[in-house]
Amino acid sequence: MQKRTVLTLMAGLIVIIGLLPVISMLLKSIIIDGHLSLNAYYGLLNSKRQWTLLKHSLTLASLVTILTTVIGVPTGILLGKTNLFLRKLFLLILTVPLLLPPYIIAVSYSDLLGQEGLLTPLLGSTLMHHINRWLFGLPGCTIVLFSAFLPIPVIFTIAFLRTVNPHMEEAARLSASWGKVLKGITLPMILPGIIFSALLVFLLTFGEFGVPNFLRYGVFPVESFTQFSAFYDFQAATATSMPMAIITFFALLIEACFLREKTYQIQTVQDNIQTPVICLQRSHIPLTIATAIMVLCITIVPIFTLVIKSANPAAYAWAINRAGNSLIRSITYATTGATLLTFSGFLTGYLIQTRSLKIWRAVDSLTIFLFALPGTVIGIGLISLWNTPWTNFIYASPLIILLGYLAKYTAITSRISINQLAKIPPSMEEAAQITGASWSRRMIFIVLPLSRHGLITAWLAGYVFSLRDTAITMMVYPAGHDTLPVRIFTLMANGSSEMIASLCIILIIATLLPLGIILLLPMFKRLRYGH
Amino acid sequence: MHCNLPVIKNFFRFLIVTTILGMLLLLPACTQKEQKVKSITVYVSEDQVFSEPILNDFETQTGIKVKAVYDTEEAKSTGAMNRLIAEKDNPQADVYWANEPIRAEILKQKAISAPYISPEAKGIPSMFKDPHGYWTGFSARVRVFIVNTQVKRKPLSISDYLDPYWKGKTVIANPLFGTTTSEIAALFTLWGNKRAKEFMMGMKKNMVAISTSNGESADFVAAGRYAFSLVDSDDATNRLRQGKPVSIVYPDQQPKDIGCLVVPNAAVLIKGAPHPEAAKRFIDFLLSPQTESKLAFADCAQIPLHRGVKIPPEMKPLSSIKIMHVDYARVAKKMIEIQPFLKSWVGL
Amino acid sequence: MDIKVIELHSVSKVYNDYTALDHCSLYIKRGKRVVILGASGCGKTTILRLIAGFIAPDTGRIDLNGQQVSADNIIMVPPERRNIGMVFQDLALWPHLSVHGNLAFGLKAQAVPKKEREKRIHNMLQLVGLSGLEQRRPSELSGGQQQRVALARALILQPEIMLMDEPLSSLDEDLNIRLRTEIVELQEKLGFTLLYVTHNLEEAFSIAHTVVVLKQGRIEFQGSVNQVKRFWEGY
Repeated sequence: MQKRTVLTLMAGLIVIIGLLPVISMLLKSIIIDGHLSLNAYYGLLNSKRQWTLLKHSLTLASLVTILTTVIGVPTGILLGKTNLFLRKLFLLILTVPLLLPPYIIAVSYSDLLGQEGLLTPLLGSTLMHHINRWLFGLPGCTIVLFSAFLPIPVIFTIAFLRTVNPHMEEAARLSASWGKVLKGITLPMILPGIIFSALLVFLLTFGEFGVPNFLRYGVFPVESFTQFSAFYDFQAATATSMPMAIITFFALLIEACFLREKTYQIQTVQDNIQTPVICLQRSHIPLTIATAIMVLCITIVPIFTLVIKSANPAAYAWAINRAGNSLIRSITYATTGATLLTFSGFLTGYLIQTRSLKIWRAVDSLTIFLFALPGTVIGIGLISLWNTPWTNFIYASPLIILLGYLAKYTAITSRISINQLAKIPPSMEEAAQITGASWSRRMIFIVLPLSRHGLITAWLAGYVFSLRDTAITMMVYPAGHDTLPVRIFTLMANGSSEMIASLCIILIIATLLPLGIILLLPMFKRLRYGH
Repeated sequence: MHCNLPVIKNFFRFLIVTTILGMLLLLPACTQKEQKVKSITVYVSEDQVFSEPILNDFETQTGIKVKAVYDTEEAKSTGAMNRLIAEKDNPQADVYWANEPIRAEILKQKAISAPYISPEAKGIPSMFKDPHGYWTGFSARVRVFIVNTQVKRKPLSISDYLDPYWKGKTVIANPLFGTTTSEIAALFTLWGNKRAKEFMMGMKKNMVAISTSNGESADFVAAGRYAFSLVDSDDATNRLRQGKPVSIVYPDQQPKDIGCLVVPNAAVLIKGAPHPEAAKRFIDFLLSPQTESKLAFADCAQIPLHRGVKIPPEMKPLSSIKIMHVDYARVAKKMIEIQPFLKSWVGL
Repeated sequence: MDIKVIELHSVSKVYNDYTALDHCSLYIKRGKRVVILGASGCGKTTILRLIAGFIAPDTGRIDLNGQQVSADNIIMVPPERRNIGMVFQDLALWPHLSVHGNLAFGLKAQAVPKKEREKRIHNMLQLVGLSGLEQRRPSELSGGQQQRVALARALILQPEIMLMDEPLSSLDEDLNIRLRTEIVELQEKLGFTLLYVTHNLEEAFSIAHTVVVLKQGRIEFQGSVNQVKRFWEGY
């Protein structure tokens, strides 16, 4: 009874926070002055420009998906399944762009390759002019988003490699070399994970606003913003966000029909069975060099560009002066958001993993749908639902930002929780149940402690995604409550590039700090306690 | 499965502490109506880089905290205008700082603004304020030509966009957004629909390029990609101050010409503002000659509307420029009317 | 003269602080059935994995047919070149491949021509009594049928050495008895050297020519079935 109540409440909360705003937005776009009107949608269908923008969005999303998958999966195998030198370090560095708002990477590329970029004195203005034409447009957007989202297929590949029964590969190794084993056995077994990561990259790119906006490439999410701003047309804004919602929905339908059961089987192999590692021999050094070059280009060079651009104490002083409060707010909201996301993710994850309610599939689909939905759409929905005198205490406070985080990112913490819960044998809880312990007691004293690693991971993921959020926060932040990513975005109009670069560096540090602390904590403990 | 109790306890303590702390920090923000006015809310369309120092000065002088929502870039703004319209039935803002009067007019037409005639408005010419006080202009930009110094012949009139001499060598910001829309709408009111449409089609025939913003147009001209562009005076002044190879030309300055369009900022009192008295105080501050002087010397290089305000030596006072005489209310209406034409012109 | 096919010379293997094998020496002759008997965690599976080439000994040396294949943490000859077949405890049948696919994989990897391949698959399925089930997926087979597929997959490459890691532990008694008889018949027919791991005494005694008793990583005793039975009674 207790279990059903709590889980039903949690599911209800996700519906209220996430689904209702979207429905509210949809209804307001078709019911005007009490009458049904599809004018905004007819306008959308008849507009050549909208089809062009949709084509741009699909082109960009497809290119980024193909590139990240083709390069990301082999990289994942290299970093997760071989004895490559420094593979853990490479993985750590490669993951950094995923932790940042993608437009920061766009800023760094612009600082490097822009008309007044760091490379201009070296390459000359004529060549830079040609590079610029390439940077500000589809190619530039593709490269930037490739850098931002490459970690996704890499991480998914590594995670799914760990689910492959080592005996499967060893059985194949008795007759075939590693190349054939990977092709014939390993890759087919991790294919659901690869496809899922590709789908995720596609949806994230499709809904991306900041990078195409900065690099001046017209895409659909930008159009939604523009309708809402330049034309002050709520109905048109909602109408333009509907194709994004529909494409998201269909992509998730594919995932649900073909991949869901397979991606649920993310059960890592027992610890006592060692995963076979590919020993690189002659190719060790060339592959290490190649990986180092890739990591350099994708992560180190862009961040280093920002560091050089901002290498001026006055710029940092000015940046902190301009953005000090927003940095504190960012960390506060991200910390609170992460904690709330950990709870919401854990409960929804528990609901989905144990299938305690019949609606578990619907809840899972909803969280993923909301994650994949562009932030601009969620933002419009939140304004539509919560901007009333009776809900002003939410709308006019940072709570509205937290609601946005909960709506968008519960799927991440939920999936992490599911993965962790799958490792706990059901007999653990059953053994407690048979003693007469209530559900809440079992959860607090048995399940939660056993899930601690997953909870920590979920918290970190919630923190990173909340901190880097731009699209939702920009739409809904109450006056005086802007966060650092939003402030950087608004200051980009006419702010000096040195100041913007230093703000970006400050944001990077704020993002990586808790991760660094968590990683270094065991080391400090060992030094202190000697074990 | 090894279970480290102290670690678990610490982690849960951390979670509980962060949630409580976070809620405590957020809670004061939730209480909307304060008994003593300690803050006002201002929505700002002027670039944050230029507007924030003014808000900070108000805070310092009066002790009233200013909470702001800023726009991003003129074509892609997400914060200010859309929120004001969305929040019409439940206003959050006290004041709107518009970066051009057209937006202020639209707010009036949508019954989102309230009338207020500030004492500081006395020195501002009547052309730059609403007669009933729904908006008051201050610190203006002027629509000028930014011209690359390599160019031998200087453009002198907006009609030069149609001159075959400049075919394929000119650029203009997307006329669907910002001050370029205002300019086109102003031309429609001055010339009438027929002539204005012919002008637009003529520009297209003369292969004018379309950029995403005035800033981008200015950069293109500075880089030598195009000969000239119609931009805001602050964009042009900025590039000049950066040492770029450009010059500024004020178009249509001959006696029979139409003159340059002046685009002032506009201060708007929001209808149903939570703190109306403090809002009025802020508007007075914005409209003051002191604020206008600060904005003149800042990088935004905006021209004061009050006479006799101290300005940088390289800035031309408004009195020395032939300005386009328009009715901003008519321009605002015309802007909405010509939207479908502009969309098809851009190629939508 | 009986030729030694498998030789372990004072092999040790340590995982973190746990010694899986402690200076083990073992010599297995061609064509014999040797059963390694011991409780869970005594090091039985480690011996198999060392011989297969999945792991290398920390110290000591392993020879196959007189050729050194691994020693002192180095694997000189990788698994795919050792001509070994293996049946795992969990069978490790590839779920995305049919019975035919599971058998064909190794043959394709060894570049066996298609005609020859099909012939061998057909013959092997007949041998293990699974004709007609080529297109089934492992999940569509019974426990006994899966067991036979695992056997067939290991044997189809005509290995000289067969390693079996508790292959019958999950089966019921009747099926266990039936299959172990079949394994013995196959071994006698095809003549491969069999190294079989189990913790079940009855299973060990019914299969083995020689039994090696392993305890905590050390060989306690090795000998014929009768010798081991006497050892066990006095143990």
